[in-house]
Amino acid sequence: MTRTMSFIEGTGRITLNAIEEVGYHFALFVESLYWVIAGPFLGQPVRIPIIVSEMMKIGVLAVPVVMLLSFSNGVMMAIQGIATLQEFDAESQVVPGIAYSVTREFGVLIAAIVVAGRSGSAIAARIGSMQMSQEVDALRVMGIEPVRHLVAPILLAMLLMMPILTLLADSAALIGGGLYTGIVLKLSLSTFIDRVFETIALYDLMQGVVKSLVFGLLIALIACSNGFSVHGGSEGLGRATTRSVVLSIAAIVVADMIFTYFLNR
Amino acid sequence: MEYEIEEIKGYAIVHLKGDVDLSRSPFARKAILDCLQERKDVLVDLTAVTYIDSSGVASLVEGFQVSRRMSLDFALIGVSDAAMSVLQLARLDQVFPIFASLDARIAHTERRT
Amino acid sequence: MNSQPIIEIRELDAYYGDRKILDQIDLQVNEGEIMVVMGGSGSGKSTLLRHLLSLNRPSAGTIRLFGQDINGLPSRKLHEMRQRIGVSFQGGALFNSLNVEENVAFPLREHTKLDDNTIRIMARMKLEVVNLAGFEKLMPSQLSGGMIKRAALARAIVMDPKLLFFDEPSAGLDPVVSADLDELILRLRDAMGVTIVVVTHELESAFRIADRITVLDRGKILITGTTREVKESDNSRVQNLLNRRTEDVPVNADEYLQRLTDDLTGL
Ligand SMILES: Nc1ncnc2c1ncn2[C@@H]1O[C@H](COP(=O)(O)OP(=O)(O)OP(=O)(O)O)[C@@H](O)[C@H]1O
Ligand SMILES: [Mg+2]
Repeated sequence: MTRTMSFIEGTGRITLNAIEEVGYHFALFVESLYWVIAGPFLGQPVRIPIIVSEMMKIGVLAVPVVMLLSFSNGVMMAIQGIATLQEFDAESQVVPGIAYSVTREFGVLIAAIVVAGRSGSAIAARIGSMQMSQEVDALRVMGIEPVRHLVAPILLAMLLMMPILTLLADSAALIGGGLYTGIVLKLSLSTFIDRVFETIALYDLMQGVVKSLVFGLLIALIACSNGFSVHGGSEGLGRATTRSVVLSIAAIVVADMIFTYFLNR
Repeated sequence: MEYEIEEIKGYAIVHLKGDVDLSRSPFARKAILDCLQERKDVLVDLTAVTYIDSSGVASLVEGFQVSRRMSLDFALIGVSDAAMSVLQLARLDQVFPIFASLDARIAHTERRT
Repeated sequence: MNSQPIIEIRELDAYYGDRKILDQIDLQVNEGEIMVVMGGSGSGKSTLLRHLLSLNRPSAGTIRLFGQDINGLPSRKLHEMRQRIGVSFQGGALFNSLNVEENVAFPLREHTKLDDNTIRIMARMKLEVVNLAGFEKLMPSQLSGGMIKRAALARAIVMDPKLLFFDEPSAGLDPVVSADLDELILRLRDAMGVTIVVVTHELESAFRIADRITVLDRGKILITGTTREVKESDNSRVQNLLNRRTEDVPVNADEYLQRLTDDLTGL
């Protein structure tokens, strides 16, 4: 009896905490948006050089890994696709298969997971250590809103870079898939590309891009809020960093599932 | 907003006045640097200054440095006690040539030559 | 001018969770005054400071700075007010990603449209004031404890604030460096007419710089007065603090034993 009670109680508490956390993320989002729009009129603009440097850290530096993973993923999809479709004598159908799943699904997923791993942890660690050393308090007492100075640039950089990374991931995966298909099915890369474009429409590319915006938002908000919530020394910092990566990847995958369900009905 | 500039005996005298603070010091800076650009010897008159903050003092420092690079004369006159204590805080009273008035400045140069 | 206090705290209560940390604090600080907040470890000094900086909200009571209630202030007005206030945190709170000069120049870059030359000269002038000339390009991680305090002070005064808060200027510094910092605080007040609130538990430092001292003890103010009044106070807890005596609490054998063996198994 007491065990069930405590189970229910525990579940209740976890649910409450989760709701509170979601609320906090939402508030953080609204506040960042407020500064992006109203900041320039209040003498507190979101600084462009900071946005650019964040874009560099979040986006540009992630390009090589994103490309490599996507390329490999494209090759793997071609291998599996051809192997499966051979049983139905339908290997040639591998092209639309790859084209759809890359543009709608895997390009953006790989880009988002790489960014979550790289920047999700880096951002949480940076803001967390600023929180610990009272740098965040210092900003506040100088009359500089930490959300405006720290969060808004990260959010903007994320929203600008994620679609670009996604499109790069799409192309790397398609090239990977195309090269393998070309070798096995004696299809030239240009024929492969032609057939890809016959298959996919702008809608498919946009599906990836729209998702990338949502994933970018999730990564930025989860990383920043975990950074701000750091307390209790370096152990707390480590915990927040790990939590930031795990939570953002989980959020991405779940959000992706929901998206895919609604977009492909 | 512009400060009055008077030319006497080969000197451009920049009369600063009121509060030379964050909002006003850019005008003081511009007035001083403009005179120097015209290759004039500059005296900055602080008599009518009620308050000068570090941005005002920084403008004076920049003016002095430019004048030295261009081998022009530069001095402060009419430094009030309040202004003096701001200069003293960064030990700049030992850096700027400081005189009571234009005449004192001229007397000083004549004595040297 | 002197009619209105720069800081006016009325009946301030503060809690962390259920624990009452500050209890009915009343305090006024006048223009141009150096007020030292003294008290033993854990007495609530830093908590009081956080409330004055509007980093924490009071559970009850009001805090007025420059005559304005800081908790009723719209955020825009609060931002403006904060530009007239300088803060030097206990640990310095320098931005680790910026070098010393960039740290000091940071508030100017954020809040003013001054020419870059002016900003850099101002930053270096402040570094001269705190005797850190020549260390502009060092990163915070390359500074010693005393240098961090001085760099933080330079950053706190770069906007020529009217009100300066200084948390533990001399904690962890050797006596010479700490005396230097005290000297600096006095010079700042004399040259710029700043009102200064210093939080410290160093007695010597407190008596060297203070115009008035307020003594905090377990969240309550024991006494507020001139250095002389505090020295001559006949409150035993004040005297204990001044003479660095620890309180001799008589030992209750039963309770003491209970505390030591509480929760142990097999006893
Ligand atoms: N973030 C916090 N959460 C909960 N309790 C806190 C927190 N910060 C401080 N306290 C408690 O509040 C009390 C007062 O702390 P405060 O930091 O104000 O003391 P202090 O006078 O500055 O001491 P010290 O001289 O050691 O810095 C202490 O008992 C401390 O345990
Ligand atoms: Mg403290």
